[in-house]
This record gives sequence, C-alpha cells and structure tokens, in this order.
Amino acid sequence: MKATIIRRGMATLTGMLASVFLMVGTASASEVTISHYFSGPFTSVMQDVFNDYNAATGFTMKDSPVGHEDFKTDILVRGASDSLPDVFSYWAGARVQFVVDSGDLSPIDDMWNRDGLDNVVAKAIADSATLYNGQRYLVPMQFHYAGMFFNKKVMADAGVMEMPTDWDGFLALCENLKGQGITPIALGSMNRWPAQFWFDYLILNTAGPDVRAGLMDGSVAYDAPEIADAMSIWKDLVDAGYFAENANAQTWTDASDKVAKGEAAMTLMGTWITGYWNGLGLEPDVDYDFFPFPTINADAPVSVVGPIDGLVISANVQNMEGAEAFLSFFVSDLDTQVNWTNAVGAVSANVNVDPSVYNALINRVISTVGDAENFAFNYDLATPPPVAEVGLSMFQEFMENPDDYEGILARAQESAQAAF
Amino acid sequence: MERSALYWRVVLLAAPVTVFAVLVIWPLFSSFFYSFTNWNGFNPEYDFVGLENFAKIGSDRLFIGAIINTTIWMVAAILLPTLLGLALALLLDSKVPGGPIFKTLFYLPICLSAVVVGQIWIWIYQADWGLLNTVIRAVSGSSFNYAWLAKPDTSLGSVIVAWSWQQTGLSMVIFLAGLTSIPNDLLEVCEIEGASTWQRIRIVLIPLLTPATVVVVALSVINSLKGFDILYIMTGGGPFHSSDTLAMHMYNESFKKYLMGYGSAISVVLFLIALTIIRIYFRNLKKVDEIYG
Repeated sequence: MKATIIRRGMATLTGMLASVFLMVGTASASEVTISHYFSGPFTSVMQDVFNDYNAATGFTMKDSPVGHEDFKTDILVRGASDSLPDVFSYWAGARVQFVVDSGDLSPIDDMWNRDGLDNVVAKAIADSATLYNGQRYLVPMQFHYAGMFFNKKVMADAGVMEMPTDWDGFLALCENLKGQGITPIALGSMNRWPAQFWFDYLILNTAGPDVRAGLMDGSVAYDAPEIADAMSIWKDLVDAGYFAENANAQTWTDASDKVAKGEAAMTLMGTWITGYWNGLGLEPDVDYDFFPFPTINADAPVSVVGPIDGLVISANVQNMEGAEAFLSFFVSDLDTQVNWTNAVGAVSANVNVDPSVYNALINRVISTVGDAENFAFNYDLATPPPVAEVGLSMFQEFMENPDDYEGILARAQESAQAAF
Repeated sequence: MERSALYWRVVLLAAPVTVFAVLVIWPLFSSFFYSFTNWNGFNPEYDFVGLENFAKIGSDRLFIGAIINTTIWMVAAILLPTLLGLALALLLDSKVPGGPIFKTLFYLPICLSAVVVGQIWIWIYQADWGLLNTVIRAVSGSSFNYAWLAKPDTSLGSVIVAWSWQQTGLSMVIFLAGLTSIPNDLLEVCEIEGASTWQRIRIVLIPLLTPATVVVVALSVINSLKGFDILYIMTGGGPFHSSDTLAMHMYNESFKKYLMGYGSAISVVLFLIALTIIRIYFRNLKKVDEIYG
C-alpha cells in the first residue's frame, strides 16, 4: 500500500515535471522574446508598442524588462548561458561592438536592404551606430543629446536672461549664482555614469575629438597632459564650490529633482531628463530649458555627446522573421516613433518623422545636434566595457578627491592599460 | 524488501543529489576550469592562459583592497552580532519587563531579506533627510549632512552596522536557548556564595555557553562569507571600490569588466579561503564536542 502511494506520488511528480518542461520547450511559433532596460514609467509605453506591433503583424512580443543598471549584468549572464532573448535593447557603440565580437548577434543587412532602411534612418546615425565590422547589427530606437538643462525660474530670479556660450561666460554665471546663494550645478554621480558627460565635454572642448578618440581606443594615455588639463578645469569648478554637496550620494534623478525644486540651477544631463521632468508636471520652455555645453577652445570642433539606444537580434534567435519584423516596425512606424520618442524625451532617428510633432525645446536639440561638427558617444559607450568600468570609478573618485586628480589619472592609466 | 528499500533510497536521493550536482558541483568545477582561461563571458571562444590570472591577482591593487575589506568584514561580522547577541540574551534572561516583546523586536530583522534591510539602512544613512543625520542635526544644531555610504572612510563600516543589526537577533535567540539549558543550581550557588553579576557571567555563564557560542560563530562565519547581497544593495562595492570585498570584486571583474576568466580565478581564491576557515572551524568543533559531549 505504502509503495503504491509512493509510486503514485512519483508518477504524479514526474508528470508535473514533464508538463513544465513541455511548456518551457514549446514556445509559440509566433512569439518573439525581448528583453529591454526601459523599466518604471517606460514599461507601459513599450507595452503600447508591443500591442501595436502584435496587432499589425500577428506576432506576439513576450517581454522581460530589467532595471537600467541591472540590465548590464543580466544580459551578460544570459549571453554566457546561451539564453539570450530573440531581441534585446542595447547601447550603440563599444558595447554592441563587444557583443558582435563575441559572436552573439545576428547581422540584419538583408532586412535592412529589403525594408529600405537607408531611406528611414538618418545617415549620420546609420553610419555611426548600426555598422560593426562592416555589417549592420542594430536598429536605432532613438538618440539622446546631453546638454546643460536648467530651471528657468531660478535663472530668471537670479537676473540671468542670456545663457553663456563660452567658458568665461559660464564661470561668470556660476559665480553670479553662487554669490546669490544658489547652488549652480547639481550632479548625481552615485551610479557613476552621470559624471561622464563632464569628462566627455571637457576633453572634446579642450583637446578635441581626435585626442578623445585616442583615449577611447587606448592610443592616448589617461595621464597624458591633455587629459590632465581637462581634469584641472573640472577640479577648478569643484574647488570653487559650484557643484552641489555629496554628488556621490545622489542619483541622476536626485540631481534632477534638485534643479526641478530650485535647489540647484542646472545639471548636465541627457534629453531623457525632459521625459522625467515632464512626468513630474514640469513644462519645457516654461519651467526648464537647456543650453549647449559652453565653448572652451574656439579651435576645437563643435561636439555634442549622447547615447543611441538600439535593438539587436541575438545569434541564437528562435524567431528570426518576427524579430526582424519588430526591428523594422520599431524604427519605421511613424506613430510608434513619435509616441516612443516623446515619452522617453528623445529624438527619432527616422528622417520621415515630422519635427513639428516635437515641442520647441526638442526641436532646438535637433538643431544643436544638426549644427555640431562631431557627434560622440558618451564615455561608457565609446570605450570597451572593461575600460569604461575603470573610468566610471575614476569620475567618482575625482568628485571625492579632486585635488588628487593627477594621481587618480595615473592609477586609471595603469588599470586601463591592463583592461585594454 | 531490503532491495526495494535500497531502490527507493536511491530514487529519492537522486533528485536532491542531481540538483546539488547541477547547481553547486558543476559551477564549482566550471569556475576552476575558467580560471585558467581568458573567457569574457560572452564569446564562445577563449584561450587557455595557464596561471596568468592567478599571477595577475598579486599585482591587482583592487584585489589587495578587497582582501583587507574582506578581513575587516569577516572579523566585524563575527564579533559584533556575537557580542551584541550575547549582551541582549543576558539582559533579556534577567527577566526585564516586556522581555517577550523585546525578544520579538530584536529577532524581527532576521526575518527580512537583505534587500529590505539594505533599503531601510540606505534611508537611515541618506545624507539630506535620513534618520541618522536628522537626529544628529537635532542634537547638535548643526547642518550635518555627511553621506555615510558615499564616503570611502565610512561606507564599509556603515554596511557592517546594518548587517550586525540584522544578524544580532539570531545570535540572541541561540544564546537565550543556551541560557535555558544552564542548571539553576549553579546560579543559586553563585547567589548563596555572594558572586557579583560580572563574576556570575564571567565564571559560570560564558563558559557554559560555549556550545551556543560555537553555533553562533559558525553561523556568523557562514553568513559573513555569503554576505554579498547587502553590500551589493547598499554600496555595490563603492564608492570607487572602497567597500569591495572579494565576492564583490569577483562580481565586478566578471560581470562588469567582462573578465570572466579573471573573476573565476578570484572565486577560486575565495573558495580556498573559505575552505581553510571551515577546516579550522571543524577542527575546533571536534575539540568542543570532546569537552562538552
């Protein structure tokens, strides 16, 4: 009797396990799996895209959103265990290059040509963000631009009507604000990456894009005089007390909140801040505005910095047809591009999107980017990931000990050299 | 009948042994294997580099920092919960009013996950509106806004305090159980002989609590070696590696720098350290067993 019960129990257990394995093993042929880092308020916007795509094509998107910072590790773990989803979002530049070199992505040249994406994606973005080792791998979801976003009321109350275009003007603005008891700059470097825009712009505006490109590929040392000069300018700003206290204890949203509440005047951040502030009820051009990073060296080409988020297809894709269709749909469908870019506070890479769908501030961003002589990926997307880790920690250490910037650069060079 | 019993033993043990082999033994040997490679975690192709990863460990200043932090972490994570747990157990065993309520309150943190505990203490340590700085400001009247978790001098110590807050309840309960097994006759003799409270604790209670102490220390050692989650939540090893332990350093090298081979070498070193500590512990456990039966 006892043995019969055990046998029945075992049989039931075996049946349950078999059912689970069968359920796992038989994903629907129309299903396209996707993982992305647009969590929080952006999850529902992405879900709307999925719903529209499902309705338009008959495929079914099955998503697993992961938090922005956790995604960087999560996708690596999934790659290491050959369990990458069909499609995933990723940052164009060195990070995609790393995954391409690892053989974990499928090229999309056939789909690109078949769907005529040359006539859809802006050429400058297509050239810089989608081609790796001579093949197409990525479709841009949108692009962002990092600029100096400020609280209009704080500036107006301080009597500032004209925003600075050169470095002397910027220093005068900071001194003026500080003199009136207003913290000029908020920075949230707790997650490290927000500090990179300062590093990027200071190098691009002093040493220029070639030196910066050399730093990114290892041909220029971190302790080179040009890099030390840029850091000394940053140090002067910290020493002058222009940055809000405890930058390393604040996230980028904390810093954005400081500006939104008028506790600081401005923050150097990407255009996603507009999506965040709009969500808080702030209005572009009424409550906030932006100005481009001021010119330091007039001889250096005008550069803008920003990331391009994209969609890629994994090498172990189960539903290539559905995956390719989704990438094409995301970048080509005008309603999707308009809704998506407006929600995340970004600009579409689709040349067919009518600029009038954007507010005046985003249109000025488009002009600023269009007028620039050089579009550079921000630091952690421009240099290989192992090196980026070195630099990101370096920025945090610098914010704590700016006086030791030469020592910090020397140690960074030692670590970067090993990482390269 | 005998063969049938053996058959079912094998069948029923097969599942847990398989799970253990897949989830523990296989990754363990994989780590050993990858520690001799330059695998980046993504690329299916890699080269064998011999002992290169282990040689690199010697010149890695972040590894040296992580070893120092791991030592501080382990010593503090063993001493603080043990001493605080003992103090609380002795206090609560002396029939203080509201004893059962305090026991529940002190034990409660151990029921929380490390993520919850970490988040609670992040709020407590928050520079501008956190509980700790608010109290300090109220008491001192200053505009104190020290960022406890963002300063290299205090980040690790702050996490140790949070960790000890969570673990103390467990030590307290084990010591309380140990105290109930001490014969009342001995305590009455102490009272008749006029022993002071300190003498009673030092000469009678602490020696007789040795078996409970062994359990507490063992759990503290094991838990401190596993103590990765709370560090990950509260500081992530930062700011700029100031609170990196070996486990955190291994994670950063493997999953952030994509140096899976080197990360595996660090995990092998961590494994050997843990093995040494556990061997020492078991050797001493045997001695305690011989004394206390």
